[in-house]
Amino acid sequence: MTPDTASLLLVEDDALLADTLYDALSLAGYRVDALEDGDAAFTRLATPGHGHALVLLDLNLPGRGGLEILDAMRRHDQDTPVLILTARGAIEDRVKGLDLGADDYLAKPFALDELEARVRALLRRRQHDDGTQLHVGTLHFDTLTQRFTLDEASLDLPPREQRLLAYLMRHAGEPIDKARLLEHVFSNETLGDNAIEVYIHRLRRRLAGSSLTLRTVRGLGYLLESEA
Amino acid sequence: MSPTFKPPSLYRRLLIWLLVPMLALGTLMLIQAYLASRDTADRAFDRLLESASLSIAEQVKRQHGKLWMDLPPAALKMLASNAEERVFYALYDSYGNFISGNAELPRIDTGQGNMRFANIEWHDMALRLGVRRSRLEGWRNRQPFEVRVAHTREGREALTQTLFQGSMLRLIAMALLAIGVVLLGVRMALMPLTRLRRAIRARDPRTLAPLELTLPRELAELRETLNDLLARMRRVRTNQERFIGDASHQLRTPLAGLSARAELALRQDDPRAWHDALDVMRGSADKTARLASQLLSLTRLNNPESSPEAGDVDLCDIARQAVRDALSSSHRAGIDLGVETPSHAVIQHAVHWQLAEALTNLIDNARRYGASRITVRVGEAPRRLEVEDDGPGIPEAQRLLVLRPFHRGMESGQGSGLGLAIVDGIARAHAARLTLGAVHPHAASPGLCVRLQFTEESIP
Repeated sequence: MTPDTASLLLVEDDALLADTLYDALSLAGYRVDALEDGDAAFTRLATPGHGHALVLLDLNLPGRGGLEILDAMRRHDQDTPVLILTARGAIEDRVKGLDLGADDYLAKPFALDELEARVRALLRRRQHDDGTQLHVGTLHFDTLTQRFTLDEASLDLPPREQRLLAYLMRHAGEPIDKARLLEHVFSNETLGDNAIEVYIHRLRRRLAGSSLTLRTVRGLGYLLESEA
Repeated sequence: MSPTFKPPSLYRRLLIWLLVPMLALGTLMLIQAYLASRDTADRAFDRLLESASLSIAEQVKRQHGKLWMDLPPAALKMLASNAEERVFYALYDSYGNFISGNAELPRIDTGQGNMRFANIEWHDMALRLGVRRSRLEGWRNRQPFEVRVAHTREGREALTQTLFQGSMLRLIAMALLAIGVVLLGVRMALMPLTRLRRAIRARDPRTLAPLELTLPRELAELRETLNDLLARMRRVRTNQERFIGDASHQLRTPLAGLSARAELALRQDDPRAWHDALDVMRGSADKTARLASQLLSLTRLNNPESSPEAGDVDLCDIARQAVRDALSSSHRAGIDLGVETPSHAVIQHAVHWQLAEALTNLIDNARRYGASRITVRVGEAPRRLEVEDDGPGIPEAQRLLVLRPFHRGMESGQGSGLGLAIVDGIARAHAARLTLGAVHPHAASPGLCVRLQFTEESIP
């Protein structure tokens, strides 16, 4: 599934913001359905098979509130990703939303760039869940054949680097520290911290020149992301 | 306090503590008065028994070798008061044999002296018995004998009643007087309290002027405490008024700018001018939105009604989360943001969202004031959170001022001047010490290290 076919449901009651987001997301190539009130969104989402790949949900809605809709959605066992948009910036609302099964949270006001980045990330995560293909920018990984392609060209890697890159792709956009890499990628081997640094260094050299970067975030670990 | 619960009144408590002991004392005094009256009556009547027995004893003679007496009528009259008592008398020899009399009366073994008294029950009558031991002095021998005299108690009781009634009336009069004095005294003593209450009630709820009222020493302390509280409230209100003034200024100005800029752009036809205007407007709108959300979080922080739930939180966790949240926007701005934490959890009793808010504001501040490398650090012993940057820093003289709302360290900066005020508020709520220091004091860009150090009292 590619972004241009993904259908998004936008539930937002503020006309200016809703129109703007509708235009921006349409321009970015998504099909967007916009709803203005909570009851309509509730009816749409409470039935399985609504066909939306992602829901952008405001919490303060006329009719049913966003948290109620989210709760109902999750109780009908729907795993459609939900990005909450709200003016309530407080941490406890965020925690409540995430507890109810929201996938991400964006506090108003937000930059359009930020929103688009989150939408891309959520759609990508969804692809990970149901496909055998991993995509991060121009880097692809087929989990069945265990083959990487970067900028349409095949990328051959030794087994350890391959496992390392596949893990980083699964968690793209999220910093991963060495302890986690040791536990999940090299659990069967006795490997020092330095060895990981060596593999990261090698991967960086292989990704050089592409739109992908493998950054070190001080104190948090390594982060694979696409500049595009 | 539940509405049905009636708090004890001070007036009532004072009355109870004064009147109950007084009543107890009065009762004791009444009992004592009764006992004294009875004692007096007994002694008066015993004197009569004594005289009567003496006059009988004087009439005892020897006749044909035996004791004999002629009863003097005066002796019996003496004993019969106007209360119609019954009088008994008897003469006994030294062996206890009845010789003469109108009743056989018992003897008294206890006691000393020639005259003895006792209260006895005799044929269902309560009698007072007096026994006089005497003897007839002859030239050949001495013959001892006993005169026993008794009478019923009506006279005594009548006298006791008369005496007791007199005392009782005096006591009751005194008690009434004392109660009156106590009621009056308590009311007088509590009068200043009533005045204080009236003075407070009569106040305009909006004034915070100190209470001017002459009061006794104990209440003067209360008045001073109240005035202290009012003074603190005055300061809080002054701060609030200044804050609201600043806030409305800060909110209105960019909105006026937005509106003016839009109007200007609409008058022009050049798409480039529109684009420029939109660019400026977006920046201004972002800034205003940030200001609004900061104002709200400051208000929330200063609202004493909201009781935040404090719990044990891991400072490392909060630091990492704050960095993760700010990561993508920092990266886009080309800023190197990192975190330094111990490898184990650092637990502190704190309000989670407030610490997260503080870090968000500090990272944001560092970013806005020109830092290119920002480090969030968690320290132990003492537990602390630090945000360090390599920006221009804050001159030492400015470091206290920047904690005040709407004070901006650099006029050219793009901050709202609220970030550090919010952090300061959070530090206060946690009894933590907030310090601002330079990282490299003598370098061209000294940098800034803001440290939130928890203290012993850091339990909000």
